[in-house]
Amino acid sequence: MVKLIRYLSLLALLSASIGSAQAALVEERILLTFIPNVQFAPFYVGIEQGHFADAGFDVSLDHLQEPEVLDLVAVGQANFGIVSGEQVILARSRGRDVIYIFEWFQQYPVALVHSAALDLSDLEQLRGLAVGIPGRFGASYSGLTTLLSSAGLTESDIEVKEIGFNAAEVVCLGAVDAAMVYANNEPLQIRNRAAAGDCGAITDVELITVASQVDLVSNGLIVGRSLLDSDPDSAARMAGALKAALRQAINNPARAYLSSLKYVDTLPNGASLVAELEAAAERQARFLASHPDRQAVAASRAELLRQLSQQFDPSLLAQFQVLLNTIELWDADELGFSDLASWEAMRDTLALMGFLGDELGDLADAFSNDYVLGGSE
Amino acid sequence: MAKNESTQPEIARPYANGVVWRRLSPLATVLVLILVWHWITDWQLVSRILIPPPAQVLQSLAKALADGTLAKHAGTTLGEMMLGLPLGVSIGLAIGYAIAKAPLLEYILSPIIVAFQSTPIVAYAPLLIIIFGTGPSSKVVTTAVIVFFPTLVNTIVGIRGVSPRLRDLMRSLNASRWQIFRKLELPSALPVILAGLKTSATLAVIGAVVGEFVGSGSGLGVLVISARSQYDTPLVYVTVLTMTAIALSLYSLVALVEWRVLVWQRRST
Repeated sequence: MVKLIRYLSLLALLSASIGSAQAALVEERILLTFIPNVQFAPFYVGIEQGHFADAGFDVSLDHLQEPEVLDLVAVGQANFGIVSGEQVILARSRGRDVIYIFEWFQQYPVALVHSAALDLSDLEQLRGLAVGIPGRFGASYSGLTTLLSSAGLTESDIEVKEIGFNAAEVVCLGAVDAAMVYANNEPLQIRNRAAAGDCGAITDVELITVASQVDLVSNGLIVGRSLLDSDPDSAARMAGALKAALRQAINNPARAYLSSLKYVDTLPNGASLVAELEAAAERQARFLASHPDRQAVAASRAELLRQLSQQFDPSLLAQFQVLLNTIELWDADELGFSDLASWEAMRDTLALMGFLGDELGDLADAFSNDYVLGGSE
Repeated sequence: MAKNESTQPEIARPYANGVVWRRLSPLATVLVLILVWHWITDWQLVSRILIPPPAQVLQSLAKALADGTLAKHAGTTLGEMMLGLPLGVSIGLAIGYAIAKAPLLEYILSPIIVAFQSTPIVAYAPLLIIIFGTGPSSKVVTTAVIVFFPTLVNTIVGIRGVSPRLRDLMRSLNASRWQIFRKLELPSALPVILAGLKTSATLAVIGAVVGEFVGSGSGLGVLVISARSQYDTPLVYVTVLTMTAIALSLYSLVALVEWRVLVWQRRST
């Protein structure tokens, strides 16, 4: 009942604020990680297609390392940031009062990639193999620890090699037997190299995703406690806008790619590709008007890739394919929600790694699904 | 007696001309900085999340020393530096001397050298990891690469700065090439070369840490990333201060060598 009242009051706040929000947009900075990349398409869609403006925000984007994003949000120098759930747990365990209010990635994006010639049908077979990771930190290390733990193994059962973010090169050179990678990106790079005969003895690779073993909380939107105390409506509007933008990016990847062109300099943007994507985006918008279900939309994405592949060189479509792969990690019936079990699984992994500080407190305080309800899809 | 004392030549007393103050001033600066740091955190002018109090950093230092974390990672970085520094310096000295003696070499090599130097090492460090592997050798190479250029430039400047008249004089006295090098070129160029070595010594820490940032299992660069990713800000400060201490120590060591080796220069001035 209490939750229902909170939901209703948030909805009331949201609807009351729409009128005034349209009048004057509030400048708001969202801190992202990494560098401008097509994987941040929902944010570009949110800006270009007006979802943030509809919610009353004039959004700009900055890219930093995850700990910097989190600390700046924790001290109130930014209101919104995107980090992985593990960072929220780690930071809260060391006194940062940040709250995760929207789960962006529904599936943990990290996976173990290995040559298809190597039989790893049972994770136990990892024993004695050399596995590359960027370093003993971050999502890749958490993912590896989780995979090993799910197979009853520990780090001492394998040879861990710190290879930086060079998995594609190191795997192709044969310096490791397997590597922890982002499932949506590096495997594609390795496959493209292998197809071009530029990946040593490797002709194809296979993936073991962390998500297939354990549901770990992944990347999402965070805010500081002070914002939730002073302006919960703003948090709800931002979560709602992100939800709408994310759904549009999932449903219309051609439009998402086109929206990203302005922000990602390295995206292929030849005239014929752009014209084809414009046409595809229009077709998809008409298709979406018929309210297809998720499966039908997923099929339409696959069909679009098939059509484009017949017209364009694979190298031109690589980033579009990364976007489609990433969409698979975002998509769900209900966007934005995270559940306690995935947080507990992540906390257990971090405890196993010995990374947790002593101020974590109640894990349920680390996240809230209350603010997701503000958005429409 | 009093008359005798007044007629004796005055003995230079360190405190009389401010030598003591000059020597203590760096320490005083550090103390003032620590006090300012303490006040900033005590009055919470900046969040303690961003700048932890000095006492907290000291506690973290004690813990990292006690459990061996700092020694392990600092040892790795020092090891990489101790291999990379002499390697880069030796190559810099050799090529620098060759260029100084044969200007044609400068025309041939300068595009490569300048291109390498003008590109930030963080940009091509990942390539070095791929080429030289994920082990210590890639960090040794990043260290060698970063210390190479100051040594090279200072060697060229130092050797070219040797007086042609003195060189002619030695030639007229039938001095061999080796004698000219040992008795004239090396002593004349040494002040400039050692100045370059001081720069190289401080850069060596950067080279090793950049290599570790890109991919490594141990070292101060790894400890910074690890501490940062675990939101252990005091340990980040401990690690950064350790890097600073190593760089300062190396710099001081070269300065000491310079002081001992260039004793003739002090006498002449």
